[in-house]
Amino acid sequence: MGYVAAKGGFDAIRAAEDLVANTRLEGKSSWLDLDQIIDRLGYAVDRVMGEGGLWDETTAARAFRQAEGDVIESAHLVRAHRSTLPRFGTTDAVDVDEIDVMRRIVPAFREPPGPQLLGRTLDYTGRLLDTPDEDDARRSALEAAAARAEQPAVDVTEATSDVRVPGRLLDVLRQMDLAVDRRSNDDPEPADIARVPARPGAPRSAVLSTMARAESGALVALWYRNILGPDRNLHEVTLGEVRHGRLPVRVQHPLIDEQVEIGNVRVTEVEAIEDLDGPDEDRTKFDVGYGLTFGHNERKAIAMANLDIALTRADAGSFLEQSILMTTDGLDSSGFLEHLKLPHYVTFRSMVERKTVERKTDERPSTEAVAS
Amino acid sequence: MTIAMTRARRCELLAAAPLQQLLETADACLDGQPAPVLLSGPDVGTVVMTVREPVEASRFHLGDVLVTQSTVEHRSIKGWSMRMGDDRPGALAAAICDAEVEAAGHHAAAVEQLCNEVEHGQAATRAEEWHRLEPTVVRFEEMGE
Repeated sequence: MGYVAAKGGFDAIRAAEDLVANTRLEGKSSWLDLDQIIDRLGYAVDRVMGEGGLWDETTAARAFRQAEGDVIESAHLVRAHRSTLPRFGTTDAVDVDEIDVMRRIVPAFREPPGPQLLGRTLDYTGRLLDTPDEDDARRSALEAAAARAEQPAVDVTEATSDVRVPGRLLDVLRQMDLAVDRRSNDDPEPADIARVPARPGAPRSAVLSTMARAESGALVALWYRNILGPDRNLHEVTLGEVRHGRLPVRVQHPLIDEQVEIGNVRVTEVEAIEDLDGPDEDRTKFDVGYGLTFGHNERKAIAMANLDIALTRADAGSFLEQSILMTTDGLDSSGFLEHLKLPHYVTFRSMVERKTVERKTDERPSTEAVAS
Repeated sequence: MTIAMTRARRCELLAAAPLQQLLETADACLDGQPAPVLLSGPDVGTVVMTVREPVEASRFHLGDVLVTQSTVEHRSIKGWSMRMGDDRPGALAAAICDAEVEAAGHHAAAVEQLCNEVEHGQAATRAEEWHRLEPTVVRFEEMGE
């Protein structure tokens, strides 16, 4: 059976595309506005921004709507869109100590510098499905908005910088000489994984960037594999800082050569403290891993911080490094997975032919059997 | 009393100004003036968000941020703006407002007034946010012996 080139299916593909677009437009419910998605589905929007590697809520919401709620597909749309845009440059490096917190907890320490601020979190909401009457719920929402508008103005002069920008637990540990100090005067240029894919042997900046835009589920799964699975690179990790807050975006003003803060981005930040107990480690101290991602995504940032410290402790060239760099990107993994749906007619036919030949070989009498 | 602000601070506040007010102010600045010369943009693109993390005090790229920037010449003075998001009208208007103040144009005071309002609005928003957050601060009670 020879190889015969074939083409076709274009009309069917176009019809399938139209089916997607038309069904989206002809939906039985009212059109979903972008501000509704941003306002009501914030965790999904944040996840799309983080995995898409682009901060812009409107773009993320647009992608989420187009992808009909498929987060990985949304992130793919965002990355594709970003690749069409020019890059104007790089922001001035912002020190993460500047995070203006909306939520900040320190599980390791009861009285850290600054408050234990629960903020807005789903951690304490009962996991019971809320089934209100829809009309009542709409009415309640309107009433709540009206009541908020009528509230008296609050004192804008009250200084809150000490609680909104608190010191961090790592500095407390350093003061107590309990933390390995890995700071150095070197300031290497950070790797740009959008231009050069990170591969084993990559610097830590590439690893952190890779995890910052990794698929959330992939990072959590890799973290869990290292806790309960066969890898076991994580042991006694305690969380230091868990923060959700805003970081300023600063660029150089081209006409006056001064820094200008053009706005801010929301981020989730985590410090993971590891108890050092290896034979070559200083057992009198802790070491710390770091996680940071766009938006509010604590699971991802916690996994990232844990994996950062696990990788710091792992041997060079470890499986963990390969796992983080090569298997946590949602576009890479889902793209590879989904390509399996493409026609593999020729590949599979060659496999069938090999099986057939194998079978004929097995059925052929051996030389010894013929001789006897 | 309002204190004259630096150009950098003005650009920050114009970057945060509500679009409609910004457009109205820029339109006023252009009233009776020739159209501004577009030196660049308004262009939508990205800037790479770089952070310095606390463990090794090293830098890494967190991701890109969508921005729009514009440079204009208005009243023979260059004005510049960068605003977050896909916002060509806003970036163009902010650059015109920037140039208006640098050129000491007739509407410079209106631009500065807008900046003062934005600054006050930011403070009010931040204060109101803290007012809602503050009750979630954990206050531990020592258990008696």
